[in-house]
Amino acid sequence: MKTTLPRELPLVLALVLVFGLLALVAPEFFDRKPLMSRFAQEAPVLIVAAGTSLVIIVRQIDISVGSQFAVSGIVAGMLASYGAGVATCAAGALGAGLLMGAINGLCVATLRLPSIVVTLATMVIWREALRLTQQGQFINLPSGFQWFGLTLESGQMIQISAALALFSLLAWFASNVSAGRFIYAVGSDAEAARLSGIPPRITTFAAFVLLGGLCGIAAFMNALQTPQVDPKSGTGLEMKVIAASVVGGIAINGGRGRLWGAFLGLLLLTTISPALTYLHVEAYWEKAVQGSIILLAVIAETIRTRRV
Amino acid sequence: MPPLLRATHLTKSFGAVRALRGVSFELEAGEVHALLGENGAGKSTLIKVITGAHSPDSGSLEVDGTQIEHFSPREAHRHGIACIYQQPALFPDLTVAENIALRLENPRAWSLVRRRTCRIRAAELLKRIGADISPDREIRNLSMSEQQLVEIACAIGVGARIVVMDEPTASLTQKEQHLLFHIVRELRASGVGVIYISHRLEEIFTLADRVTVLRDGASVGTNPVDTINENELIGMMIGREVSHIYPPRESRPAGVVLSLRNISCKAGGVHDVSLDLRRGEIIGLAGLVGAGRTELARVLFGITPADNGNIVLNGKSITIDSPQEAIAYGIAYVPEDRRRHGVILEMKISQNMSMAIHERLFPGGWLRKAAENELAQRFISQLGIKSSGANATGETLSGGNQQKVSLSRWLATKPTVLILDEPTQGVDVGAKSEIHKIIRELAAEGLAVIMISSDLPEIRGMSDRIAVIRGGTIAAMFETVPDAQALMAAALGHKAA
Amino acid sequence: MRTALRPTLVRHEVILAAVLLIEWFYFYFTATSEKRGITFGFGALDSQFDLLRHSVEIGLLALAVTPIILTGGIDLSLGSTLGLCSIVFGKLWQDAGAPLWLAGLLTIVVGGLAGTINAGLIAKLRLPPLIVTLGTFSLFRGLAEALTRGTATYTGFPSSFLLLGQGRIAGLPTQGWLYLLVTIVIWLLIHRTVFGRTLRAIGFSSEGARYAGIPVNRRIAAVYVFAGIIAALAGIIYTSRLGQAKADAGTGYELYAITAVVLGGTSIFGGTGSVHGTILGVAAIAVLTKGLVYARQPQEVGGILTGALLLLALLASTFAKSTFYRTRTAKTLTAPPQPKLP
Repeated sequence: MKTTLPRELPLVLALVLVFGLLALVAPEFFDRKPLMSRFAQEAPVLIVAAGTSLVIIVRQIDISVGSQFAVSGIVAGMLASYGAGVATCAAGALGAGLLMGAINGLCVATLRLPSIVVTLATMVIWREALRLTQQGQFINLPSGFQWFGLTLESGQMIQISAALALFSLLAWFASNVSAGRFIYAVGSDAEAARLSGIPPRITTFAAFVLLGGLCGIAAFMNALQTPQVDPKSGTGLEMKVIAASVVGGIAINGGRGRLWGAFLGLLLLTTISPALTYLHVEAYWEKAVQGSIILLAVIAETIRTRRV
Repeated sequence: MPPLLRATHLTKSFGAVRALRGVSFELEAGEVHALLGENGAGKSTLIKVITGAHSPDSGSLEVDGTQIEHFSPREAHRHGIACIYQQPALFPDLTVAENIALRLENPRAWSLVRRRTCRIRAAELLKRIGADISPDREIRNLSMSEQQLVEIACAIGVGARIVVMDEPTASLTQKEQHLLFHIVRELRASGVGVIYISHRLEEIFTLADRVTVLRDGASVGTNPVDTINENELIGMMIGREVSHIYPPRESRPAGVVLSLRNISCKAGGVHDVSLDLRRGEIIGLAGLVGAGRTELARVLFGITPADNGNIVLNGKSITIDSPQEAIAYGIAYVPEDRRRHGVILEMKISQNMSMAIHERLFPGGWLRKAAENELAQRFISQLGIKSSGANATGETLSGGNQQKVSLSRWLATKPTVLILDEPTQGVDVGAKSEIHKIIRELAAEGLAVIMISSDLPEIRGMSDRIAVIRGGTIAAMFETVPDAQALMAAALGHKAA
Repeated sequence: MRTALRPTLVRHEVILAAVLLIEWFYFYFTATSEKRGITFGFGALDSQFDLLRHSVEIGLLALAVTPIILTGGIDLSLGSTLGLCSIVFGKLWQDAGAPLWLAGLLTIVVGGLAGTINAGLIAKLRLPPLIVTLGTFSLFRGLAEALTRGTATYTGFPSSFLLLGQGRIAGLPTQGWLYLLVTIVIWLLIHRTVFGRTLRAIGFSSEGARYAGIPVNRRIAAVYVFAGIIAALAGIIYTSRLGQAKADAGTGYELYAITAVVLGGTSIFGGTGSVHGTILGVAAIAVLTKGLVYARQPQEVGGILTGALLLLALLASTFAKSTFYRTRTAKTLTAPPQPKLP
């Protein structure tokens, strides 16, 4: 009988190592205020990472999430600047995200185009369209919008809790709702899924739409954090979330991986930058370290599965 | 009382190949009915019709007296027909419990996955068949036999009344086989009808109530197992020789060109093979599918190099660690799976033919279209390849013509040793004769030819000597061509009377 | 579903060439003006040269990634390699005091090493190219940033060096000649050599190629190493054109390059594609982007149209198939792109 260690084990070890090191050498890393601030900042990213993981599990990829995020943020901002209430702005962001996700899903699932190129195209289209309309201008949000008008502290708490709650819901969905299992089934073997009565194309389409919606929600959450919406937000988001998923054990070939792995992956990758600061390592090593982590993660995963 | 399953005069053709020629077959409830026949006899086509994967060209199929109108896997499922294939169709990344759950029901998208219930049910089913498998394990971590057991659990779970098992003991240990037999007996006791395909005569005599022999797409006879013996069964399988004329054995075997001693390859499942190949000789490698013939060929061609043993080529000791090396040594391999390994379907005929001789045909590395086209034209006319020209792509050709292109590629390497793996599989009669003629001519020119074939008349008609492979090693060596009975007996592992 | 697409491919590139010509003439007639006998705007020779200069670096990366995509792989790290090599070059010349020719040579070696890292992980360890090059995308950029301590740039190159990126030889921008040379070399390599033929075979079916005696792993490794070398060259040209070596050089270039390649008709799944298609793709994007600037149109429209063109190009190749249906075995060289959904 072949047994396997949990796929996330090396990741957990790495996290323990990093946090342990920080606790010993730079305990001020764990100071409440900057910690909360960092978590609140990454909260939207976590949401997008969850959606991205699901798309990877269904054996596709979406590199347009950064652009979707930016567009949704601007939509929310514009609605706010026209005096719309907070709920409307949220709905607007969500709707924009769902729409963009549906376009990706249509091209991939219905027209059967390769997702990497489709999302490359839509990434460029949304980003450039946004630049065209905004010309790099920020949108000023009305006062009272930020943090729902609450204090910074409460606002951050709400952000973090909401993000964790939504993420937990998605992770639960992926494991416990049939639709979530369909995603794994289609990613594992689309033909076998079809023969079992699971519709591969609808499942794939739904994954893209879900990701789009999550980008919208994330963008809205992000808009709550600053007095302005930056049309250049979301730059590099796709690389970040894909890296988090892969480091977290989501297999690029689909069908495997747990969302909580992506959570840990994101935790590790986003800890690097502040950790470097606190450990008095120059910040310019950040990208190099992140890149190495990605490579190590994929090498480790391959060794793990090949030995079995 | 109508039988549980009745197939009447089923016919099915694939292009020019007539796979089923009016087969009638019956299965009673509470019976284990064995299906026996050589490769290509029609067993798998019959099974595919029964399980709804194919619809027959004519004939009817009834379950409990009800005609099946529409052939599809779902229809078959509805009528209570389940099949345990050799390659289980499970989701590798999901757990056993999930796979069973997905198979047993059509879950609605928004239903909650009742993990505990699924796990309990899966555990129950597995326990019922006596399989010691935890429902939480991922399918990809299960061995072949364990996956098979999961499939059986699924079949029982859906309440199948007709269970088809295709070579179920092929990769099982003794212990696992006994478990399987136990399960089969339980199924029979509960009124399920089991169609049991196997080449292992002892199993058939142990387990089955009746046995039907298929040959060349037709049923040769159905007998209760206790009224017939092995030799008679073998006789029914091979029947009379079809009067196909094979080219006369004009070549005279000369010196030994390749010598294998104690060749083993763990990854390939080959062990302790010793063989001499002589120039001008055709050695047939007989045996059942999965016996290790293709695996041996792959060792000789460097795809899965040997871990142990000696290979001596023209007196020099060599190792073959990659296909490039094999080709350099003059060994060529025409693969069995022509669509995946023999021909690159998206490329032109000419490009396919030159694929193995790039260094020779294009010295310096520059492509020379003229030389390539000339090569292609030569083989097109020599082998009679029907196509729209040398620029036609592989996928536009029929199976037989694709095989000829594959053969051309390797003939172009002017090999010393030519290994042919099922060279006329899926090829029409006319092309078959042409290919046979060419093979004999090659031997006459001094090539050492290894011919792997599951077609008994072909291997008896073409070979000068025959080695029977079973279990990854040479089980029997016939220095002259034996009669069909003896050959089949050796392949089955049965001592011929 | 993929076919050899030979007749169709000719059509694809012809259409793209037509699109390019239409673009070019459109901008020539709408964005060019004359004053006192001197041409200004898009049609001016200087503008055309400028256009060429700007497209050389991306063009080189596109040429570098074409063989990789032909084998069914992908490389997201080329822009980062360009940046790393730019910095290495600057550092060698300024900090180490190496003569320019030596700095250049060593930079090329560094590019090759970067490619070798990709090659080792992808060909030897058989890791998925998408993730490996995602990792090296960060790693190489990170190394560039680390080498400059995040801020330093290298300037003050001698004018003899700046001739490469800013000067002219025989009437054409210097790097244009280099671009032409590399184009010819890669074109010949892909379309006229055995090496190129084996790349296609690997792209269509790596198993089939293996059974035909093609050294699949060696070929795959080779294309990544080549790409690294060409990226190094692009990095040197970039440095010369800007007169500056910067750590963020080449950011985003790899995606542009891949866009150009797919636009040019190369299938992301491998096997089908051409070098002339890539060149046309690069030109089409460059003319569109720069032309809009001269036409005083928002340049973002260029980006949007490029994205739309890319989708159209995809649709075109997907629908131009033969009716012969063939089930594919799952390909994981670049998983994703994925086998078609059933």
